[in-house]
Amino acid sequence: MPKRTLPLLKAAFTFLLAPGLAFSLDTTPEAMNRFVEQYCIQCHGGETVKGKVDFTTISMAAASEDDYDFWQLAAEVVEYEDMPPEDEKQPSPEERAAFQAWYETHYVEVEAAPGVFKPRRLSTPEYRHTMRSLFGFDLENNVQKAEQTAVEPSLILKLMPTDPPGESGFINDTHAAPISTVIWDQYAYFSEVALIRLFSRGRPQSLNTLLDGDLPKNYKHEDITPEMGESILRNFATKAYRRPVSEEEFENMATRLDGLSGAKLVKALKFEMQTILMSPGFLYRGMRMEKQPGKRQQEVDTYELAERLSYFLWEDSPDEELFSLAANGTLSDPKIIEEQVDRMLKSPRARTLADSFATQWLALDEIDDVYNDPYQLISFKSQPLDFLNYLFTEERPVMEMIDSDVTFTSHVTAGAYPKDRKKLEKHVKPKGIEKQVAPNQKLILENTEGRGGLLTMPAILAMNHGPIIRGTWTLRRILGEHLGEPPADIPPIQTVGGGKKLSFREQFEMHRDNATCARCHDKIDPLGFAFEAYNEKGAYLLSDNSSLPKEMQSKKQGNAEIDTAGKLPTGETFEDFEALKQIFMTSRREDIVRNTVKQTLSYALCRKLEAYDGPTVDAITAKLVETDGTWQDLFTEIAKSLPFRQTIITATKES
Amino acid sequence: MTRNWSINRRTFLRGAAGAMMPLPFLNLMEASADSGVTNLAGENTPPVRFMSLYKPNGVHPPSWNINGGTENDFRMSPLMAPFSQHKDDLLILDNMGDFGFSSHANSTRRFLSGHHQNTREASMDQLIAEQIGGDTAHRSLELTTEGLFTGQIGCSYISYGPDGARLPRESDPQLIFDRLFRNPLDIPSKRAEMTSLLDRVRDDADSLMRKAGSEDKDTLDEYLTVVRDTEKRIEMMHKGTNRSPIKFEDIQRPPLATNLDEQVNTMIDLIALALWTDSTRCATYMLGNSNSRMIFDFLGVKEQHHYLSHFFRNFSRENIDGLLKISLWHMEKFDYLLTKLKSYKDHNGTLLDHSVVLFGSGMGHSDNHTAQRIPTILAGQGGGMLKTGRYLRYAENQELGNLHLALMQSFGVPLDSYANSGAPLQGLDGSPFNEYRERPFDSWIKLTSNKITVQGRLVMSENLDEAKTFYMEVADKDPVRVDVSFRDFHDFNLAYHVGTPIILEGNRDEKNGQLLMTKVSELKSVFGKSQPGKQRG
Repeated sequence: MPKRTLPLLKAAFTFLLAPGLAFSLDTTPEAMNRFVEQYCIQCHGGETVKGKVDFTTISMAAASEDDYDFWQLAAEVVEYEDMPPEDEKQPSPEERAAFQAWYETHYVEVEAAPGVFKPRRLSTPEYRHTMRSLFGFDLENNVQKAEQTAVEPSLILKLMPTDPPGESGFINDTHAAPISTVIWDQYAYFSEVALIRLFSRGRPQSLNTLLDGDLPKNYKHEDITPEMGESILRNFATKAYRRPVSEEEFENMATRLDGLSGAKLVKALKFEMQTILMSPGFLYRGMRMEKQPGKRQQEVDTYELAERLSYFLWEDSPDEELFSLAANGTLSDPKIIEEQVDRMLKSPRARTLADSFATQWLALDEIDDVYNDPYQLISFKSQPLDFLNYLFTEERPVMEMIDSDVTFTSHVTAGAYPKDRKKLEKHVKPKGIEKQVAPNQKLILENTEGRGGLLTMPAILAMNHGPIIRGTWTLRRILGEHLGEPPADIPPIQTVGGGKKLSFREQFEMHRDNATCARCHDKIDPLGFAFEAYNEKGAYLLSDNSSLPKEMQSKKQGNAEIDTAGKLPTGETFEDFEALKQIFMTSRREDIVRNTVKQTLSYALCRKLEAYDGPTVDAITAKLVETDGTWQDLFTEIAKSLPFRQTIITATKES
Repeated sequence: MTRNWSINRRTFLRGAAGAMMPLPFLNLMEASADSGVTNLAGENTPPVRFMSLYKPNGVHPPSWNINGGTENDFRMSPLMAPFSQHKDDLLILDNMGDFGFSSHANSTRRFLSGHHQNTREASMDQLIAEQIGGDTAHRSLELTTEGLFTGQIGCSYISYGPDGARLPRESDPQLIFDRLFRNPLDIPSKRAEMTSLLDRVRDDADSLMRKAGSEDKDTLDEYLTVVRDTEKRIEMMHKGTNRSPIKFEDIQRPPLATNLDEQVNTMIDLIALALWTDSTRCATYMLGNSNSRMIFDFLGVKEQHHYLSHFFRNFSRENIDGLLKISLWHMEKFDYLLTKLKSYKDHNGTLLDHSVVLFGSGMGHSDNHTAQRIPTILAGQGGGMLKTGRYLRYAENQELGNLHLALMQSFGVPLDSYANSGAPLQGLDGSPFNEYRERPFDSWIKLTSNKITVQGRLVMSENLDEAKTFYMEVADKDPVRVDVSFRDFHDFNLAYHVGTPIILEGNRDEKNGQLLMTKVSELKSVFGKSQPGKQRG
């Protein structure tokens, strides 16, 4: 791919032309190799390979795009002096700067570019929603469902194998999950079941929508005229392919209905429709995009843009409005994109941003393992989801994820807000109902201590039980830091002889004396121990917990033994989580926003981010930080961004 | 002889109540069927099947390891008791594994992929399926008991497709049943419909292909491969329906499992039935994810499996009892599988005779994750591939890749090397192998005022009340008790040296008149390597 090296070369020239730098820092491949040999390879190459980082398998001279992740991590740990470990020989500040300059030349000062166009299969939830929009009904699992039983209501979600997350960490990144014969058979089954139901007598609603017609409730298959058949087929194909079909292609299908009527017509129609549902144009996104020949980097066509928007914000196919804007070509106007994002976020379908995007990003499914009682599970898990949905769809600032005086709570969870819970509207159970899940209400926190924001929601604290897991989760998912896997031969937490019993915290303080451990635990532990005022089920120990469910209350109450103070590797100190939160809101604000932008962009593009996405991430981050931007700003900026609207087409091969 | 068969079948299937046959009854019928029943495929040589059962989280080594004994004269260990009745059908392998330690994710990958770093090749089950699954309706089954472990995704997969991509696994026995025995493609009219559907979508894909760029082409190729595979399957379904001695609609759908035990039994029933009806010839089944946090409440164990598996660090008698209960349950499932496979007549023997079952884990010691002496057992003769009833303890550590290479070659996979391995494991078919041999050594104790040095055999206490304790055995003397911290246990990798003679030096102490070593300062192996390395994998 010779053209790809162009931005890299250009960046290299810019660099060489800056004389001060070029003379003071030696960034030649030879110098870089010396750097790696002196400071890295002893632990990360050949015989010993710590943390799966192996410099012997990678070439600095090549500075290949494929190695972006590798060098990004290397540059990060060298810049922050996390590596080499304290007890090893340290590079001079100039050497560190030279390494950093080399990295920036090759991987940061690259020009923004879109990704290479690649069709991808609909993820299982996307497929489910697309089928539902196409047919007007959800395929349901035919099982009796009592409220306290865990039954997957969607036939599709029940029968499809679990999608493995792609390299991006999101399941909509299906590039590594190709279609298989098992999946093929399920698609065949779903399409058959859906078509049978579509043409079942007694419920013509869905058919009428497709037909734009008016079949009576008791219609018979004989009532479907050949004209109706054609009309159904055309509308169905257009909707299924998310773009118009050519006349030639349509004729090819329609001729197969010629001269048929009644049951025969319906049978042939069903077959044509099943063909559409099993074809690559339906099952894959981007398969039918119109490409501009001979152009490498180009705008995606407006139908593709409509799809990108709708699968990003709704996990679903475009609706009529998006489709007509795509048809008249106006969708590519940034103003129209802004309007559409605004409209789409107001639709209930935007709930998938919380249910799918945020759930995957923040690993919220781990909450499922916390609660045995299904009522508690639904009540506690819906708190973060409702809260995030509110932030996403009601123009709330991104940073309110960390600090907000709004929460969503029901009578099951309200015990966490003892000084504000009285403001909730009373919930009266209907007669004869023993237990019932009450919907959450929005509650403004005025007097409650220790709550507010995502991080102190009971379910979040409970799914991350223990300071180490809480610290790791916060570091990785919120601050967006890379942590390697913990080494397998982890030295255990030391115990001290002489019968002295150490607290968990003291044990970890000793553990951090070991330089290998300190590299991560200096960052993890202070964050984790800041949550010590919350018990393992997420109850706040310094407040009155008497109205929380019994199993959440711990015997330990009061503040006698609680130590929440800590010191971050930056030197900043804090007394408790409230103070740490203020650090998050100020000096770590940019990190949090940047991580949020990266995660959201990666989800929107359905792929892992690459070096050439860096400028896009930087630009959106800067804008959001400067303006205290909202989630809606974020979604809009992404929708208008270069990688979202453009793509790279490699030369088409005529065969 | 087939006459007998049909009589049996009628008796059982259309019996008094005319009810359909629940799965367990099918085996009674088979056990009573005449041994002269022609084999399902109607061939002279029955097909050989491959099946793998994965046990997560390693073992408690003193309960698992066989110490002493020889190839043909050995006693099975306490953990092996649940399947000891199958001794003659087993090939117990010892000294399997690499050096060093293993993470959970790596141990999962290693189990069927030869080496933990082998992330770019298909796992051996898939390569075998590619070789032998050709004319069955289902190429292979990838099954599990648990959901995805999203925190450490690698812990959830043992089977990998070409390029080392994770293959989706399935855990619902009813779905598997439907796919195997209620498959629409078993019905001729459905097959015809699918055939015309395939023709049409292929046209569509071909026309897209003509306009495709190179990236779309790869995706379309994947799609077209599935189209072609489905055409092939239709052909196989047609044959399969004809060659199966029982009608699939006569097999009753298994009821919804109410606990893990039932779920696993049902899945094993299905695996056996799938292999016997030649619906597939290859299956992998995970009894749990590595790092499994399952709670075995039906065994009366309330703690999570992974927590208990760290039995040194989380030592209490109750915890270790819990861990052993879980491990014994795993072993019972292996027993259940073998019993099932034996209950089916296949050609002139049982289904097990014509199968190779690989049972085991991806790590040895479940607390410090030593990737050495990894529990590995083969079962079944594989139609003559394996000579069973033996215990093979290799003199040198054998990477799992050696075993995988040997098995794949036996199944006809044309490979000279696999993962890290270029040498197939010797001895599986009865050929000579480099056997571990005990060499004579002196044993002694040297004492100074505060130090103790012992040469002798290191053993782990078999007393479960002292599961953290080691002993140095010394001829004609009381053993010296070694009571050390996890740090010493781990840094000197005592688990690695268990069963072998070493020189151990440490702090001297005494307890109830018995010599006691508290802190280890030096370890030297008498014959082998003293430092097995800190390599991680």
